[in-house]
Amino acid sequence: MITIPYLTALTTYFSYGLLFAFGQFRDFFRKIFDWWHASNLQGYAPICLGLEDFYFRRLYHRIQDCFGRPISSAPDAWFDVVERYSNDNNKTMKRTDKINRCLNLGSYNYLGFAASDEYCTPRVIDSLNRFSASTCSTRVDGGTTTVHKELEECVANFVGKPAAIVFGMGYVTNSAILPVLMGKGGLIISDSLNHNSIVNGARGSGATIRVFQHNTPSHLEKVLREQIAEGQPRTHRPWKKIIVVVEGIYSMEGELCKLPEIVAICKKYKAYVYLDEAHSIGAVGKTGRGVCELLGVDTADVDIMMGTFTKSFGSCGGYIAGSKLLEGFYSVMMAGAIGKICPVIREELIQYLKYTCPAHLYTTSISPPAARQIISAIKVILGEDGSSRGAQKLARIRENSNFFRSELQKMGFEVLGDNDSPVMPIMLYNPAKIPAFSRECLKQNIAVVTVAFPATPLLLARARICISAAHTKEDLLKALEVISEVGDMVGIKYFPAEPKKLEQGKDTIKLE
Amino acid sequence: MYVRAVPPTDLNRNTEWFTYPGVWTTYILILFFSWLIVLSLFGSSPGTAWTIVHLSHFFVTYHFFHWKKGTPFGDDQGIYNGLTWWEQIDNGKQLTRNRKFLTVVPVVLYLIASHTTDYQNPMLFFNTLAVFVLVVAKFPNMHKVRIFGINADH
Repeated sequence: MITIPYLTALTTYFSYGLLFAFGQFRDFFRKIFDWWHASNLQGYAPICLGLEDFYFRRLYHRIQDCFGRPISSAPDAWFDVVERYSNDNNKTMKRTDKINRCLNLGSYNYLGFAASDEYCTPRVIDSLNRFSASTCSTRVDGGTTTVHKELEECVANFVGKPAAIVFGMGYVTNSAILPVLMGKGGLIISDSLNHNSIVNGARGSGATIRVFQHNTPSHLEKVLREQIAEGQPRTHRPWKKIIVVVEGIYSMEGELCKLPEIVAICKKYKAYVYLDEAHSIGAVGKTGRGVCELLGVDTADVDIMMGTFTKSFGSCGGYIAGSKLLEGFYSVMMAGAIGKICPVIREELIQYLKYTCPAHLYTTSISPPAARQIISAIKVILGEDGSSRGAQKLARIRENSNFFRSELQKMGFEVLGDNDSPVMPIMLYNPAKIPAFSRECLKQNIAVVTVAFPATPLLLARARICISAAHTKEDLLKALEVISEVGDMVGIKYFPAEPKKLEQGKDTIKLE
Repeated sequence: MYVRAVPPTDLNRNTEWFTYPGVWTTYILILFFSWLIVLSLFGSSPGTAWTIVHLSHFFVTYHFFHWKKGTPFGDDQGIYNGLTWWEQIDNGKQLTRNRKFLTVVPVVLYLIASHTTDYQNPMLFFNTLAVFVLVVAKFPNMHKVRIFGINADH
């Protein structure tokens, strides 16, 4: 639940209105000037209609230097940001040769595997020498190496499911699997703040999509009851299958999903649960097994667990892990495919996906060194490399996140997210504060990621901080100092700051 | 003074900003301040200023709510490209609170404008025409209707 000061909401709407009005004026005059000059289209249709790239040209380009900053080193706790300049008011950016060494508060480097690691990197280089950088083939042709087999077993064990399937890209995992699992006549109920990959996958599947209010199990129940009672649109036949898609940690809010309640409701109404653990696998939970471990949900209750390796494992790619309880799931699909009543074929969900999912059949398999990085990272997390570094990393990220969040809240910032979550968005609201915060922080060598419309709602622009286990206490203290100073300058301390401890001590002594 | 913002279930980023707190107040305040600006710039009588505000409000809202179609960003891959902003609000549901508010505002502006000009004739005709067009455009029966094919898709 986000609490906005009322005046800030009014000024934010007014600022966006002003920016929009200026953009429209400039477009209007641009149209008049262009009408005079001949166009060089030669009869072809323009690539975008006039309105489609309005936001991009008139709002995003003004602050383009805050996004897409190139870096020239590994995204460790400290990294090199390349300086850029622009001669035409941010329309095009040119790189220079100068670099700034900045504190990295933006990369998804939850356990610190993004930079060279003493256990993982030698094994990755070894696998690069042996298997080379790419398999140059799809999984079904010649792209399944021993590393891929080992990776899938490793991931299935780590997550706690019988089997897993791995893809080369996390976004593609969602957008290619949902069309395979659901088709026309199915119902997808997704959280209103789900990631773009899930939204695109759901739209591509052809199933009916309904949205329930973010993290509100009571509204999910209401939507489920309404939809089950009504049935498919227009024919009112019963739905072929119903799947509820939620995320473990929501990347823009830092909030944990209310998984126990949602799983209970789905069990009651016999809907499947699809959990996207992109940000929570490896980062939360006592042994890093994600949000199910943290919230005490049995992994057998979650039907399909999806995750990515980009965030905690320092690699790339995504996985889907499935349970045997889905026998009914694919038997319905098989019966539908064959078109008559036949004996139910007992197969695993993962095996079914292996011969239907286009991301498995037609795309190149995950690069072998990247796969080796994931296997080594999982071994470190579980402690199988013989040291306790994994447990130390998990403890450190928990400590770092809780410390940073509580300090920011004490200073008066509005920070979202639950305790233990390494993602903490600081609310900015006004569109002018986005580039101000970003640029001022960069001047003091802190690199933050700011997010605005349309990735977030119009009103709720924020700076998203991702804490890593590689951040030391000194790094965090420096970051807090800089953010506090910049926050005062930019004016984002919307809540009253807590009084300092010294004064509180004095008061209690006086009373006694 | 704080308000709570609950994320709505609308996936269309072009219209979901309208469901957050503070929008109605901002709209009314913008109209009021533009009246003050018109008064100070042109030095006209209050009635003429209200007429100017009412007519420019008519042009602006008609253009952006009922003429321009689609969304100003390309993320949603053009699924709303055939719908004007008015048809996209609240996912196409008719007669919601937001729609009722937006229908009442031009009528109230019309009443203020005609009252302050004492219902004199040239202004009254234009004001009435403006409010008539705006209110008819917002009827539930006009959802996705394109009269004589004006502004229809290709």
